[in-house]
Amino acid sequence: MSMPIKLSIDLNVNGVDYPVTIEPGRNLVSVLRSEVGLTGTKEGCDDCECGACMVLLDGQPVNSCSYLAAQAQGRAITTVEGVMRGAEMHPLQRNLLEAGGVQCGFCTPGMIMSATALLARNPSPTEEEIRIGLSGNLCRCTGYAKIVAAVQATAAGRY
Amino acid sequence: MTPTTQPRFVRADGPDKVTGSGRYTADLTLTGMLAAKFRYADVSHARITKLDTTAALAIPGVFAVLTAADVPDVHFGPFVADRTLFARDVVRFEGEVVAAVAAITPEVAQRAADAIVVEYEALPVITDIEDALGAGSPLVHTGWSDYGAADPVVRDRNDASFSSITKGDVDAGLAEADHIVESRYVADGCHAAPIEPRAVLAQWEGDKVTIWTSTQVPFDARAGVCETLELPANRVRIIVAHLGGGFGGKCGFHYEAHVAALAKATKRPVRLLFSRREEFLAPDRRREGMVIDITTGVRNDGTITARKAWIAIDNGAYTADAGFFPQLAAMHVAGPYKIPNVHVDAHLVYTNHQPSGSVRAPTAPQTCWALESHTDEVAAAVGMDPVAFRRLNAVDTGAVGPSGQTYGEIGVQQCIEEATKLVGYGQTLPDDEAIGVAIGWWPSFAVPSGAYLKLDGDGSGQIITGAQECGTGAVMTLRQLAADELGMDPENFELVYQDTSVAPYDMGATGSQTLFNNGRAVVAAAGQVAEQLRKLAAEFLEAAPGDIVLADGHAHVAGSPSSTVSIAELAGIAAGGELLIGHGSGAPPAAPPLAGSSCVGDLGMASFVAPQFSCHAVRVRLDRDTGVVRVLEVGAAHDSGTIINELGALGQVEGGVMMGVGQALTEGTQYDDQGRQRNAGLLEYKLQTCADTPVIRTHFVQINTPDAGPRGAKGLAEAPNVATAAAISNALAKLVGKPVRRLPMTAERVWEAMQS
Repeated sequence: MSMPIKLSIDLNVNGVDYPVTIEPGRNLVSVLRSEVGLTGTKEGCDDCECGACMVLLDGQPVNSCSYLAAQAQGRAITTVEGVMRGAEMHPLQRNLLEAGGVQCGFCTPGMIMSATALLARNPSPTEEEIRIGLSGNLCRCTGYAKIVAAVQATAAGRY
Repeated sequence: MTPTTQPRFVRADGPDKVTGSGRYTADLTLTGMLAAKFRYADVSHARITKLDTTAALAIPGVFAVLTAADVPDVHFGPFVADRTLFARDVVRFEGEVVAAVAAITPEVAQRAADAIVVEYEALPVITDIEDALGAGSPLVHTGWSDYGAADPVVRDRNDASFSSITKGDVDAGLAEADHIVESRYVADGCHAAPIEPRAVLAQWEGDKVTIWTSTQVPFDARAGVCETLELPANRVRIIVAHLGGGFGGKCGFHYEAHVAALAKATKRPVRLLFSRREEFLAPDRRREGMVIDITTGVRNDGTITARKAWIAIDNGAYTADAGFFPQLAAMHVAGPYKIPNVHVDAHLVYTNHQPSGSVRAPTAPQTCWALESHTDEVAAAVGMDPVAFRRLNAVDTGAVGPSGQTYGEIGVQQCIEEATKLVGYGQTLPDDEAIGVAIGWWPSFAVPSGAYLKLDGDGSGQIITGAQECGTGAVMTLRQLAADELGMDPENFELVYQDTSVAPYDMGATGSQTLFNNGRAVVAAAGQVAEQLRKLAAEFLEAAPGDIVLADGHAHVAGSPSSTVSIAELAGIAAGGELLIGHGSGAPPAAPPLAGSSCVGDLGMASFVAPQFSCHAVRVRLDRDTGVVRVLEVGAAHDSGTIINELGALGQVEGGVMMGVGQALTEGTQYDDQGRQRNAGLLEYKLQTCADTPVIRTHFVQINTPDAGPRGAKGLAEAPNVATAAAISNALAKLVGKPVRRLPMTAERVWEAMQS
């Protein structure tokens, strides 16, 4: 049996460099969860269907289940654990709680990453733009209305 | 005691969930942990002629391969004991577990599962529920008559559970009618589809096993482990981390025993993580497909004289918790209407499909869709507006329902008024838009439940409850009830929950029952502590205990606000003497009596304790070129009794409505000719997205129904899922010119209906 090939790479996650040694085929979500030890990023389908594994790569939202960890080397990876502003919640996190946009919470990290990316590129989105911006993230609990309201409140600077 | 209806409600588990620090079962790891994988049947009906695990066991890194030979020979099932942990001799659906592997990594475990040699002799695949009831049909379970079953379950061959409701004389009632309307509606099965795939992690310490699992019903899961592995309850501990949604899909007992058996065999912790595909194929909690025939007699003045119905429900290969579905479906096809003569026959039919089980308001959305679509046909037959027809025939306070129950105060008429108002029913619309209306109902489930409550020496409190939080916020709301009893702030209480070895029994996040039953338990437990505090305060303030008022974190003497002591100070005194500990359960209300009706296969569903009512009014737009339907606006009015946590309640309605929109338009399981699912993935099985969401306006009709839970609260989590598909159907029928008689009403089916 031949020795499996392993890659040693550095992943920059939430501003911290993590040296990891992994098989070349590993997807980013599994490396984030198992090697880096950040389990906030969830896995719901392993097929780019649900958006629970959404992270930011240099600010762009990416389904980390369908992205090779090795490809993320040299790029800034942001997960839900990197959204806090020091000890304070990001306004979007607080607004999601205040608006009732969190129920089971399993889609929440992915929603936060998609909404953060949306607000970064479009600080004053219309309701329609928010709905389209979040349409890659499935939520089975809330019916989405309160999540949209939380993004609107964040865009309006309400906190 | 001042009820706390706070405009602001931040759930106690919220910060964990928005920061990513919250742990779900799949986030948990233990040192030395192995990975589990299952070998599934992959075929729908076959006899196992060879099962050889030798090659799998020979793979380096494989620690155990288990089959039926390695676990006690126990048949289980809450209504019919027709199931075993692993297939024995025969497989009856594609997702049946034949063997389980524990290995060093998930990849090695999968390779080993694939290396297990299984050979089959094909048996006839039974997929049509009407054919399966025929006298000549092959049987799904040839040994059906040998299975143990709960006493009231009426069974015959492929008919796993039969139920009927009879009131009056249905033939005489039909003879009195001026018009008789007959309809057939057919609903496909669909899925709970929580976003979190299930996960189970088990570890033995000596002769005790701890199982972390993504279940909605920890005590039920424990009972399943105890029954199948032959263990006493006190040696099995079930802990649930945060649960990523359930919608019924994570009710019941699933794979906890398989993983515990692997952990025992390997002397290692073992973790099972489901893929999305497994989540679709394997659990016995798919929403049931149904065939529904309804005949209604109506007079020219619009009064209903009689209703006759026949229902066949796809049970799938094993009965799981679906044993009571026939009676529940029979109640829903009779509906919340004043009908003097009723006869409904309902059959739960074995097939070689994945087993059915409780998904959010089991049987109700499909049956309500059929009944309410039929009701619009009946109204049209007598030339009445469908809303006026419902106002005339729907039950009201003091009315007698289809099973002979006389209702106390209920709000269905108010729901009709409010929902239609919310969407402007009657307004002039463009010719590609229409508004449809439907009413629904659902029982509150009165069952035992327990909780403890303690105040520590610093005055901070803990609620220790058997209740399970699946996301609805029901457990989070318990803090409000405790706080109100004790005159404290909800944030003074921490919740300890989802651990069967710590808290007393609760049925779990199922049947919309948490606030209804565990709320009662928490109020009782808090009441005991309040009593202790009043005694302590009476001594401290030199007053009578009956004069002590608990409010704003203090105890004071009624009428003397200056004579006061803080609860924290009293708790400090108690810490040096009799500790502040309460325990509560309270007595669940009894089922209301029935008169003038008879039921065969009575599993307690003909009598609705504290019934909930709803009316949904939906405005839709139809693209006549493509059959694509867009839901624009939903008015949802609900009588779920007193609303204790308004923000949470609104979230339940909005989420339930969106699940209903999905069931109406896009969510349906497709099978190949061998009974295997063709769309077991989220691209092929389409959930509603944020971009699909209509405007949803909600109104709560808050009235005082007898036998309701704390402060008059009834259940809420399932009710919003009942009437949406039906209301969409009625709007669509106006645009298409006839009902679309197949659920989901996909663009293709709508387009086909327009052509015929």
